[in-house]
Order: sequence, then structure tokens, then C-alpha cells
Amino acid sequence: MKKILAILLAGMMTTAALTGCAGSGGSTADKGNSNGETKTSESTGKNGVVDVADFGDEDNITLKVWAPDAAVKITKQQCEAFKELYPDKKIEITIVAQGEDTAATQMMNDPDASADVFGFCSDQLNKLVNAGVIAKCAYADQVTAANTEESLNAGIIDNKLYCYPETTNGYILVYDKRVVSDDQAKTFEGVLKACKDAGKQFIMDAGNGFYSCIFTFTGGVKLDGLEGEDNDIQKFTDYDEDTAVKTLAAFGKLFKDYKGTFTSLDVANISSGFSSGKCGAGIDGTWNAVVNEKALGDNLGVAKLPTINIDGKDVTSISMFGYKSLGVNGSSKFPRSSQILAYYLSGEECQRQRATEIGWGPTNSTVNGEDVVTQNDMLTAINEQSKNAVAQVNMSSTFWDPMKNLGNKIIAEEFKPDDTDAIKKLLDSTIANIRDE
Amino acid sequence: MIKSYKFKRHLANGFIYLFLIVMGIIWVSPFVYLLMHSFNGDVGGVGYQYLIPRKWSFQNYIDLFSGVGGNASLNYPRWFLNTFIVACFSCVISTISVLMVSYAFSRLRFKSRKKFINVGMILGMFPGFMTMIAIYYLLKAMGLTKTLVALVICYSAGAGLGFQISKGFFDTIPRALDEAATIDGATKNQIFWKIILPMSKPIVVYTVLTSFIGPWTDFILAKIIMGDNRDGYTVAIGLQLMTDATFKTQYYRQFLAGSVVVAIPITLLFLKMQKYYVEGVTAGGVKG
Amino acid sequence: MTYVEYRQLNPFQRFAFNFKKFISNVPHAVANFFKAIGRGIVKFFVGIGKGFYNYGTTFVKGDWATKLSYLIFGVGDFSKGKYYKGILFFLVEVLYILYMVFFGWTYLKDFTTLGTIPKHTEPDGIFEKIVYGDNSMLILLYSVLTIVITIVVFAIYIVNTKDAYKMQLLRAEGKKPTSLKTDIKDFMDGKYHITLMSFPVLMIGIFNILPLIFMILIAFTSYDYQHMPPGTLFTWVGLDNFASLFDVVNNSTRARTFIELTEWTLVWAVIATFSNYILGMIFALMINKKGIRLKALWRTLFVITIAVPQFVSLLLMNQMLQSNGAINILLSYITGQNVEIQFFNASPLLARVTVCVVNCWVGIPYTILSMSGILMNIPEDLYESARIDGAGPVKTFTKITLPYMVFVTTPQLITQFVGNINNFNVIYLLSNGAPTTHKFYQAGYTDLLVTWLFKLTMDKQDYNLAAAIGILVFIVCATLSLIIFNNSKSMKDEEAFS
Repeated sequence: MKKILAILLAGMMTTAALTGCAGSGGSTADKGNSNGETKTSESTGKNGVVDVADFGDEDNITLKVWAPDAAVKITKQQCEAFKELYPDKKIEITIVAQGEDTAATQMMNDPDASADVFGFCSDQLNKLVNAGVIAKCAYADQVTAANTEESLNAGIIDNKLYCYPETTNGYILVYDKRVVSDDQAKTFEGVLKACKDAGKQFIMDAGNGFYSCIFTFTGGVKLDGLEGEDNDIQKFTDYDEDTAVKTLAAFGKLFKDYKGTFTSLDVANISSGFSSGKCGAGIDGTWNAVVNEKALGDNLGVAKLPTINIDGKDVTSISMFGYKSLGVNGSSKFPRSSQILAYYLSGEECQRQRATEIGWGPTNSTVNGEDVVTQNDMLTAINEQSKNAVAQVNMSSTFWDPMKNLGNKIIAEEFKPDDTDAIKKLLDSTIANIRDE
Repeated sequence: MIKSYKFKRHLANGFIYLFLIVMGIIWVSPFVYLLMHSFNGDVGGVGYQYLIPRKWSFQNYIDLFSGVGGNASLNYPRWFLNTFIVACFSCVISTISVLMVSYAFSRLRFKSRKKFINVGMILGMFPGFMTMIAIYYLLKAMGLTKTLVALVICYSAGAGLGFQISKGFFDTIPRALDEAATIDGATKNQIFWKIILPMSKPIVVYTVLTSFIGPWTDFILAKIIMGDNRDGYTVAIGLQLMTDATFKTQYYRQFLAGSVVVAIPITLLFLKMQKYYVEGVTAGGVKG
Repeated sequence: MTYVEYRQLNPFQRFAFNFKKFISNVPHAVANFFKAIGRGIVKFFVGIGKGFYNYGTTFVKGDWATKLSYLIFGVGDFSKGKYYKGILFFLVEVLYILYMVFFGWTYLKDFTTLGTIPKHTEPDGIFEKIVYGDNSMLILLYSVLTIVITIVVFAIYIVNTKDAYKMQLLRAEGKKPTSLKTDIKDFMDGKYHITLMSFPVLMIGIFNILPLIFMILIAFTSYDYQHMPPGTLFTWVGLDNFASLFDVVNNSTRARTFIELTEWTLVWAVIATFSNYILGMIFALMINKKGIRLKALWRTLFVITIAVPQFVSLLLMNQMLQSNGAINILLSYITGQNVEIQFFNASPLLARVTVCVVNCWVGIPYTILSMSGILMNIPEDLYESARIDGAGPVKTFTKITLPYMVFVTTPQLITQFVGNINNFNVIYLLSNGAPTTHKFYQAGYTDLLVTWLFKLTMDKQDYNLAAAIGILVFIVCATLSLIIFNNSKSMKDEEAFS
């Protein structure tokens, strides 16, 4: 039904645009822009549909889209719908499977051979902008109006929006309801105790900066963007060293207290641990939802990250939270069409469809308030976690290895939670190394 | 006296047998593990808790070849075919190149021959993938990236540099043969094809074998050349993709099955040709 | 020692003598190597001078056609009736000029700056319009191509002038030029090396030498992740990249990484080479011992690791060595406790030891194979005469088998040493450099220089630094190998069987 509506709307707009266009051949772009904002502002904002005049003189368009494997099928459908929106234009779109994590590397190796519209993880934005291979977002105003602030922040560098937010990308607590009760799942201590009692593991990949940053973020050592001449030095300002050290010590102590239960393993072990019965709970990415559900079925519980007790106070865990966005190739042969397609694919309708069909958490504010999210445990948990998170953006490439190292040190045999000086030193050296000093 | 000597020898041999058995088990057990787990029909992926599978099934192999339970972009049969085609072509070109170069270096005397040999050895000493970016752009200028032709070119272009071993072999063939043939009026060309090559079966087999195996094992250059074209992948990069974080959880068992499928033909081929391999290696090296 | 004295030695003394001679020759070899380089350079310049001299005298002595071929390729050959060669020469010139005008020069002219205007965008309503500019990468690549082509064409040009003069002399003698048919025949016989070599050399030229020159030049530019054409341009920076690798004074991360990884690479190469060599020799001796049965079976068992592709066996090993992998499960079974050894992620020492041990698993079979071949090749009469002299099994081993094997396999040992310096697969697939450390720039404790190079290229896009490292690795390997190979018996005794 909605699709038909969209097509109708598009049809109407097309005629409007054609008549409007006939008179003035010149500044079509400006006109398209003003059209988008005045006449059809409502439909443009919601559905990611624009005036056909925005295409300019691009026709016989061939575009390539990179989507991760899980989304190839749905992206194909959405691209078909996109073509139907603009019947006057001859558009051909090929969808190619490409992991979002490696998209930036592929782009940088050879932009010409890469996709016109590509999905990527927000932390790679910096790299892409530095190398000048990504185009600025053309529909910045509309995109800004429609999406959550956090997701937009993940796409802004130097006050310019570079990408179209597509979905959230974070991790949450997953647990076996037979082992951990919903109440126990609220605190780290509760989860760990439940797992220990049941003789099962709690799995978290502490040897990976993406997860081990919980240790520092929770202690207030957060990322404050980038600085420096080349904009590649991570800023750390405004944190209290005592709190940070205490938090690191608390996590280290937790790991010591629950040795044998609290294990640091690749997240892939969580789902296999669930099925073999060795794992009771873990911190796992949303992308593993399908396999986890396969392993546990109805017994799968999901929640935001548990709190940790520091000095008798339950402190909320802060995680790294990423966004997946669509970018437009700066070397695209059809820059306008690519922008329009990216805008469409990141639009409300497409986000809703993805949330319903493949469980991708939306960034669109409207969709976020709808049943598809509020009635879904997983998506609700993600949304809650996103409120207690540091956006994975504006990050220097030197972040991961020192953070990984920090994680490995905290869970190491030699780590002493009481040795404040050593922890302080560890923290300082980690920050110094992230800043590449 | 004799008895104790015999006893000593038996004891020594016993120790050697024991040692060889233990070492043999250590050497082979990873592959037994691989083979067993490729037939694992149990749930669970990477961190599997049992050494010997509890359930056996062919499911991993069926999934691997039918593409069931997964993505169309992971097309193992296609990768296998690609690799086979590339291996066949590059094997023919490489073998011919290597034999031509080593014959020229070994039997023909021409100006700056020594210089060529030295340059050839020097080139072989640069870390191979240092040049991959440049090769990529060269192929791109020729419009060949993301094609199998590019792979064939890459695998066979530098083949001529691997002349040492076969040159060593040709060096061992008595020169009197050439001289006799020359007196009979044979040209150098005829000597090469009709006299030297028929005598060089071990080294020809060795060269064919090594150049055929090459494309099955390379996972660096092929990946750069193929980029996002997963239909053009070879087995090695395809299997590596399966161990990628995104796929590992679901595809680990299929990765094991896929590894077995590649390893078995290559292993059989190798074992069958082992004799030639040894002859090739020792002929090239022993002369010392 | 005179030849006669040498002949009087018994066989194993002879081997001992040869072996000693080889070792004592090494310093000499090093000296010779550098002398040879010096001589080469001198020869090169003398050659150039001679070339110019010839070039001049030929012109002075030449007739009109020869003189004209200094300007137009092939005139000399054509005027003397050697049409096909004249046409070929002429074609080369025409093609070269077309190439330069339409392609080569457009890039070569920017070679010194590597481009000035990057690709940028201009606002076009809400969109951006792309304005294409220069691309340093392509400028450099095609400039190198153009330079190489120019050198080749210049060589053809010289051949052309020489040929013209030769034709002139031929005519003066009253002889006719050879026909096309005879020339083709000659290519199958007298000049057969040209026929054989041209295709491989062409391929190597395009896909090895050309990219190599390009990458060597990259080491002197600023082509890194912040200078990625076409978005941003890079330019020449001289020796800055090398300087940053040796910048020990400021204790920069890059310099520290380089120095520590170089140390580890050398330690690794020594351990990996000798552990494989010695253990492989022991295995081979056991398998080939008289009275041991099922030789083929034992050999096959070990050889499987060679036969299975390395990316399979090493990725498998990587999985088995994870903290929840097969090895830990096995240890848990044996000890009855939950064992979770972090082979790669905890201590650098453990990771390094693990890598070395697994390398034995991969490498020993190669040694077994080649050693078995050699053991079978030891002449039986050596043992015979030793037995007559009353030598026991221990003595025969230390005096015959061992020296023979060491002597024969020394060149192989060096090849393996160089191979281990560049042993990418084992490290990349097995540990991928882990454990990581903040002390190193884009590298971990088990990274070798080559894997570091790879990471810099693929993960960080620091092409310039990677190229600099590549050059340094090359210098070490090339020096080592040239010294050994040029002095080893196989090069000197090339004609031994002739």
C-alpha cells in the first residue's frame, strides 16, 4: 500500500517537475532544491523521494551499489522500487555484495572501480574524507531533519555531512534466559554470578578495541573528536583520572573474581557456546541476532549492557556505538543520481522495510517511534544502549590497537587491581599511543 | 658379542620407530581434525568444545556446493571452476616460459648471459607484494582488472624468474649430446624440443606441478585484482572470505569442508608426483 | 695444497678440506662482491663512453643513408635492400612518436612535480560537480612506463645506426644482405636465445621490472594515507621515509618498530632456518636409516603438510591454537582442568615460540624431502673406503655423511634463510603479528618486516613507508644471496658436466 502511494506521489511530482522544468532550462539544480524544500517538502523528507529535475541531464544511468550480504536481497527490491519512481529515466542498478567493514579499504584502493553508493561503518568516515574519495551529502537538510542526532553526528566532519545514515551498529548483552534472569541481567555482578553458579561462561571480547573501550568509556575517558594539522590526532579532554583508574580496576577485579567464568573470546563463540550449552551470556553485536536466535530460540534474552558496581554505586556501562551509513563515491560518473539513490535508500520507507524484514535498527526518528521498533526487544535494547554510548566517529586510526592492548592487559594474569600507579601508567600510555605521541 | 650388537640395533630401531610414530601422529593429526570436523553435523561454529564430532553428516559439503543456508555471493563451485581455469592456463604459460629461459641460460652461450642470470636472481629477492599496487594499475590501464585473464597474466608473467632449479637440471645433461646433434645438422631449436625436453621429464613434471598449484594457494594478489567481484574469486580468497568476521560464525564448517575439497586433489597430485618433485629439487640443488 | 696432494687425500678428508675452504672463503667473497660492484660501475661508464665514440665515428664514416638513419630509423637497411628490417625500424619510430605525442608526454611533463591540481569539486546547486585534476599515481606510473619505453627505443635506435653502418660495409664488400628466410632460420639456431628469451623477458619487464621501478620511486614520495590521489596529491620528499625509519634520536614509533622488527626478523630467520635444517636432517636420517621399513609411508606422512595449501593448514593451525581451540581442549582433557592458554594474545615470548614451533611443522618436511634425495646420492664407495679404514658408524657419520650434507646443502640453506626473512604466510596466517602492542606502529610482536610492509600497504595505505621497508629488506637479501651464489660451486662449476 505504502509503495503504491509512493509511486503515485512520485508520478505526480514528475509531472509537476516536467511542467516546471519546461520553461527554464538553466539552473535546474537550484530549482530542484527549492522544489524539494517548498512544494513537496513533506514527501521528500519522509520517503527519500526527490524531484526528477534533480537528476539534471543525467540519463541512461548505470549505478553500482555495495551492500553487505545480509542486505543484498532487500536492497535489490528497494532499487527496483526506486527505478519505478522515476519512469522517465533509464536507470540500471547492480547490487554487489561487499562487507561494510572492508568497504572503505576497497574504496581507497581504487575509487573508480568501486560502487557509486556504498554502505560503510561510520568509523571509516575519517579515512574516506581524508583521502577525498567520498562526496558530501547533497540532501543534508532533509537528512538532518529525518534522522536521530547521534546518527548524524557520526557522519559530520568539519560541520559538513558526508553520509546518509542507514542503521545502528552496536553491541548489547545477550543471555540465556534459563541461566540469567531478566533482573540479574541488569548488573555485571548479577550476570556473572548467575553464569558462575550455572557453571557457564560469560563471553566478552576484551582483546578487541571495539569492546574493550567499555573499560575506559565507562570511566569517563571518552572520545572528543579529532585535532591536529591533518586532523588525525584523537582528542581526550575532560576526564577525571581517578574515576577512570577506579573503573579500570573494577573491571579487572571483576575479571579476577570470576576467573573461568568471565572469558575473553571472539564473539563468534557466543552463539556456538549457546548451542553447546557452555555459554550463559555475552556481549554480542546486533548482527549476530539471527544466529543467536537460532541457537536459543525463545530463551534468548537481550538487554542493554549491565551496570558495574564501583565504590558501591552502580555505574552505567558506556559502549562504543557505531552507525552504518551510505556514502556516495566522489568519483561517480553519475553524481546526482548516486546522491538521489543514496537518499532514497536511507529514507524512511526503506529503513522501515529493513527494520521489519532483516531487523536493522533504524536511525530515522519517525520509524524509531513506531511499533516495529518498540515491540521488538532487540531493537529496543539497541536504542537504549545507543543513549549510553560514544558514537564511533571522528576516530583516529590509531585507536584500535592501543585499546586492544589495554583490554588484553586488564584481563592478563599480571594485572593487579590494587596497583593504582600501574593502572594510571597503563591508561596514560594507552592515551598517549592513541594520540600517537 | 654379535647378539648384543644386534640387540643394540634393534633397540635403536625400536626407538626410531617410536619416534617416527609419535611425530607422524603429530604431523597428521591437524589434518585428521580438519577432515573430521568437515563432517561435523552438530550445531555450533568456531569454538567447538569436542575434539571428535558427536554427530556426523555430509551437510557441510552439501551446503558448500548448493549454496544453501547462505548468500548467493559465496559461490564455492564457481570459485573452484575459476581456479581450475586459471591454474590450467597459467600452468601452460609458466611451464613454457620457465623451460625456455632455463634452457637458454643452461645450453646457449650469448652475450650478457651472466648479467641476465644475476638480474633474474635480484628481481626474485624483492618482497613480492611490494609491487602489487603498481601491477593493479597496470592491469587497470589494460582494462583487465576483475577478470580471470588478469590472474593468468599475474601468475605466469614472472614465471621466467624461477629458472634456477630447471637450469640446474639442464646443466646435468651432458653437453656431448648437443654436440653430436649439431654435427648431425640439428638446429638449437630441434635440440631443445627433440633431445633435451624428452630427457627432462622430472623437471617438466616438477614445473607443471608447481605452477599448477600456485593459483590454488595465492590469496593476496587475486584479492586485490578481483576487488568486489566475488564471482571471479579463486578458492583461496573465497575460503579466506569465509573466515572473515562477518561470515565466520555461520560458515566455519563450510570453510573446513571447502578446505578439504581443495586440499584433497592437490595432495593426491602432489603425492603422485612426489618422485619428480624430489628429483627436481635434488637435481637442481645437489650438484652444489 | 697442490693438486697432487689433494688427490692423495682419502675421500672424506677431501670433503673436510673443501668444506673448510668454503667457509674460509666467505670474507674473501664479501670483499669480492664489493669489488665486483665497483668494477661493474666502472665498466658501465666506460661502456657509455665507448658507445658515444662509436656513435660519432659511425656517423662520420657513414654514407648518406647511414647518416639519414640517425634521424629516420631504418633508412640504412631499406636503401641496402633489407626491406623488412628497415620497415620494422621505421615503424618503431613512428609508433614511438605517436605514443609520446598522444600519451607519454602528457604524463612525463609532470614527472618532476607529480601534479599540481588535485581533483576537486565545485558546488552545483545542492550537488557537487567534479573537476578532474592531476593524479600523482598515474603520472608516476606512466612516466616510468614512458621512460622505460624511451630507453628501449633508444637501444633500438643505436642498433639501427649500427646496422646501417654494417649494411654499408657489406655493400662496400659487394655482398648482398641476408634474406628474411635465412634470418628466421638463424633465430631458430644461432640466435635461438633471442627467440626463447624475448617472451619471458617482455612479460617480466612489464609485470616485474616496471612495477618494481615504480615502487622504488614511491619510497621517495609522500604517497601515504593522507596523500591519496586523485583526491589529494603526493610529491617527492627525498629520503624522508628512510629518515623516519632510522630516526632513533627522537625515539619515534616508526624507528622503534623498524629496529625491533628487524631484530626479530633476523632472529626468526636464524631460528626458523636452523631448526628446520637440523631437525629435518635428523628426521631424514632416521627415515633413511638402513633397516627402517616403510620408508615411503613415513615420508608421505610428513610430506602431507607440503601438499596441503598453506593457507588451509595455517588457518587451521590458527584456529586450533585459539584459547578455545583444539589444542587447549586437548590439554584440558589431559590435565582434567580448564586450560585456556592464549598462544598469540598474551606474552610476546610465548607467541614467538609458538610461531617457531608451528613453522617446524610446516618446514621440516621440505628438509626431509631434499635431504632424502641427497642421502641417496652419497657415493657408496665413500662408505666402503671408510669401512676398510676401520671407521665405526659414528665416525662415518661425522666424517662423511654430515660434511657431505652440509656442504651440498649450504646454498639451499642460504636460500632458505632469505626465504624465511620473507616468510609471509606463516606469520600472516598464523598469528597475524599478534600480540599487538602500542609500542609499534601498525605492527605486533611477531610481525616480520614483510608482514609489516603488507599491513602498511593494505590496512594503512602508507605506500611510501612500505616501499622504503621493501627496499631495505631487499638490500639485505640481495647482498647475502649474491655473495653466496657467486662463490658457490654451482655457479663456478657450471660447465662441470660439459
